[in-house]
Amino acid sequence: MAAETRLRLTISDVTRTFGDTHALRGISLDARGGEVLGVAGPNGAGKTTLMRIIAGEDTADSGTIALGDAPLSAAEAARLVSVVHQEVQLFPNLSVAENLVLEQDGRATSRRPRPGPVELAMLAELGIESYADEELGACSLVVQQLTEIARALLQEDAAEVFLFDEPNSALTDAESQELFARVVKLKEEGKIVVLVTHRLGELVALADRVVVIRDGVCAATLEKDGLSEAAVARELVVGAQSEAEARQQGRERRSAEWEWSVDAWTHPGGAFADVRVGLHAGEVVALVGVEGSGARELVRSLAGVEKATGRVRFDGGALTQARIGFLPAERAHSLFPNFSVARNLTSRLGQGEIADAVGRLRVARLNEIAAELRERFQVRCQSVAQLVTGLSGGNQQKVAIAAALAARPTLLVLEEPTRGVDVGAKSEIYRMLQDFARDGGGVVALCTEVPEVFELCDRVLVVDEGRVRAELDVAAFASVTELAERLATLTEAG
Amino acid sequence: MASGETVTEQPRPRAGTTAAGRLRSGRRRHGGSAALIARVIGLTVSVGIAMLVFSIINSNFAKTGNLIEMIRSMSSLGLMALGLTLLIIVGELDLSVGATYGLAAMLMGKVWLSGVPFPVAFVIGLATGATVGLVNGGLTLVVGMPSFIATLATLNVAQGLTLWISNAQSIAPAFGNPAPPKWQLGWFSALGATILPFSIPIQVVWLIGLAIVVGFLLHRSLFGFRLFAIGGNLHAARTAKLPVTKYKLVTFVLCGTLAALAGILDFSFLGSTDPSAGSSLLFPVFAAVVIGGASLSGGRGLIVGTVLGALLLATLTNGLSIIGVGSYGQLIFVGAAIAGAVALDRWTAARSGGVRRLVGWRLRRDSV
Repeated sequence: MAAETRLRLTISDVTRTFGDTHALRGISLDARGGEVLGVAGPNGAGKTTLMRIIAGEDTADSGTIALGDAPLSAAEAARLVSVVHQEVQLFPNLSVAENLVLEQDGRATSRRPRPGPVELAMLAELGIESYADEELGACSLVVQQLTEIARALLQEDAAEVFLFDEPNSALTDAESQELFARVVKLKEEGKIVVLVTHRLGELVALADRVVVIRDGVCAATLEKDGLSEAAVARELVVGAQSEAEARQQGRERRSAEWEWSVDAWTHPGGAFADVRVGLHAGEVVALVGVEGSGARELVRSLAGVEKATGRVRFDGGALTQARIGFLPAERAHSLFPNFSVARNLTSRLGQGEIADAVGRLRVARLNEIAAELRERFQVRCQSVAQLVTGLSGGNQQKVAIAAALAARPTLLVLEEPTRGVDVGAKSEIYRMLQDFARDGGGVVALCTEVPEVFELCDRVLVVDEGRVRAELDVAAFASVTELAERLATLTEAG
Repeated sequence: MASGETVTEQPRPRAGTTAAGRLRSGRRRHGGSAALIARVIGLTVSVGIAMLVFSIINSNFAKTGNLIEMIRSMSSLGLMALGLTLLIIVGELDLSVGATYGLAAMLMGKVWLSGVPFPVAFVIGLATGATVGLVNGGLTLVVGMPSFIATLATLNVAQGLTLWISNAQSIAPAFGNPAPPKWQLGWFSALGATILPFSIPIQVVWLIGLAIVVGFLLHRSLFGFRLFAIGGNLHAARTAKLPVTKYKLVTFVLCGTLAALAGILDFSFLGSTDPSAGSSLLFPVFAAVVIGGASLSGGRGLIVGTVLGALLLATLTNGLSIIGVGSYGQLIFVGAAIAGAVALDRWTAARSGGVRRLVGWRLRRDSV
């Protein structure tokens, strides 16, 4: 495939809102053929929304997207833009080759279409010809992703734009290298390549330019010569600083009524091994680590959601599994969409709280408790009788956390406590969790953003390749930038 | 932050002191289920219209005797639908209710005729239903198969057992050889064939009484609150450490037991039971629950709706046969009623924003 005249993908002034969440607020950027455009941004900045809009999976409220001189319609986008997701969107029950010839009609002699020389040549070019007859679902993820790329290249008008959305979060290093070799090849063929990833090292290594998206706009563009991990890390935390510093001053030492630790903590699936994690009453501890590092599994195992073996110690009373509250990252796994705000808030309560000794529901008491919780945690809703699905993302998350805190856990374990939450709600959520810790609770949170670690946590454990690589006292860092740079070097060292 | 998010708090009038307050407090009790209230109103109107039309076409329909018989004939269907409503709300289903109905009646009859006193046989009959429920629950919750498959299996096993123990013969205890003692026959027929003052059949009382009990259990107890939670979002229920397995198992057992009771009451009313009893009830029972507003995906439903759903089915069946529509036509009408009720529900839900919000909720989660 010869290099064509250099194409340009131009995005101007694109906005998109969901309810009262502004995912994109007039974002403009362009990507050129023959270069890799890196996209970085904190969670909730609008990266995924932008990718979905470019790919035609979602439509912008306003603004234009053009490929070359012509505007890119959703129908064209479906053809010309190929998205390589972490989850491959192909047919796992067909073979690799069959996945390439899905749209073709069968011939009279064989009812199933068969791969021809063109398809086989493409597989060979991508280095996966030996998998042609394997069932796709049985192949490794990288083979599946390469199949998806092959399919995009084989279409009648071959795709011009390739979006890689966190493509390698579940891949091993060797597999990632294999995938990135293809990314470079696509770029050399003159395609437009957009790469979204949380791994700064990869952005710096692969991208010719990096745009940083913050709060739904393109906040900064870093050209090749100004591109370094520290530079991207700094851009990602701009704006979070002032609030974070204000918070640092309010920090106080808390009494340690209890101490809890796990030792020789090992995951049966190998996500982490021989880890020690401990905390005491009043502490907020962050675990950080990229997808695949074992951090997520470690956090889930502390909550008892994922299995792990090792020694558990608790000094200062009994800590049963029932006293450990857990909140997963997805609100779809923590809220009841068929319930009102009031019923969601009280969903973890039981007899003595919302029901009497024989199990009769005390509806008035339930509503009273709900109103109290709403007041205490500043949940914004028209009424607690309103369905929880009508709330904004931030308020839904406040409801989820309030429900978990209402059950009075000793230790609360959270995954990404502010995923998909706007800035204002974020600091309210941090305050909720810090108040809980100050009253003698303990918090363990899986964090994916440095400002969150800086603003929320006392201590941070860096998880890499299934080990706790480092343990940092957040108070020892004067600014969020300093912490971001330190964390960037730590993950790089692994 | 968007300025629209800051909602100024005005002191609200106490719920119940104004019309708007009453409306709010009413909705609050049902946890934002305005669509279900719309369903109840819609069903009541439908039943009313159907009755009016039938009584205009044929004056025999509105005669007290016919209306009472109509309600009596729906009572066993209604009892089974009560149990199934609980199970569907918690996100499972039971295809074996009809077979359980037949097996419980037949097993009770056989045990009784073999010389066991009636009260003991009655308890054994109910325990049969509980056991089928326990097996359904075990297969679903412990072995981990979908309840559709598990209860399809027990449906066949129960039918086979009924044929086996009955030798494919129907039984009528009063004409048994030897017939059971008089007092026991009296107890037996008292269960389901008693006519109370104002010529009200006792089966109607069973239905209303149990509808109140089950309605209380579902809408006014912690158990029911958690059934809705589990059915609404299983993941979140597990996250909240609710006793998911225990509650589901209890619901399976309740559903089986109610099906057994329905079978025994009909057996008592008719004075005989045959090996295929109950097998034709499965689909009407599901129809009543679905017309009543329960969602097959769980987390939604109400007892009043189910009872009204059963009443609508009974009205259609009875009315159509009185105005001379044959059984083929009746099936077509009932089918149309099921499709119509669910289509109407989708439409009102979409209009009230429920569906849109759910979809939006998912979008927001995926895209931000």
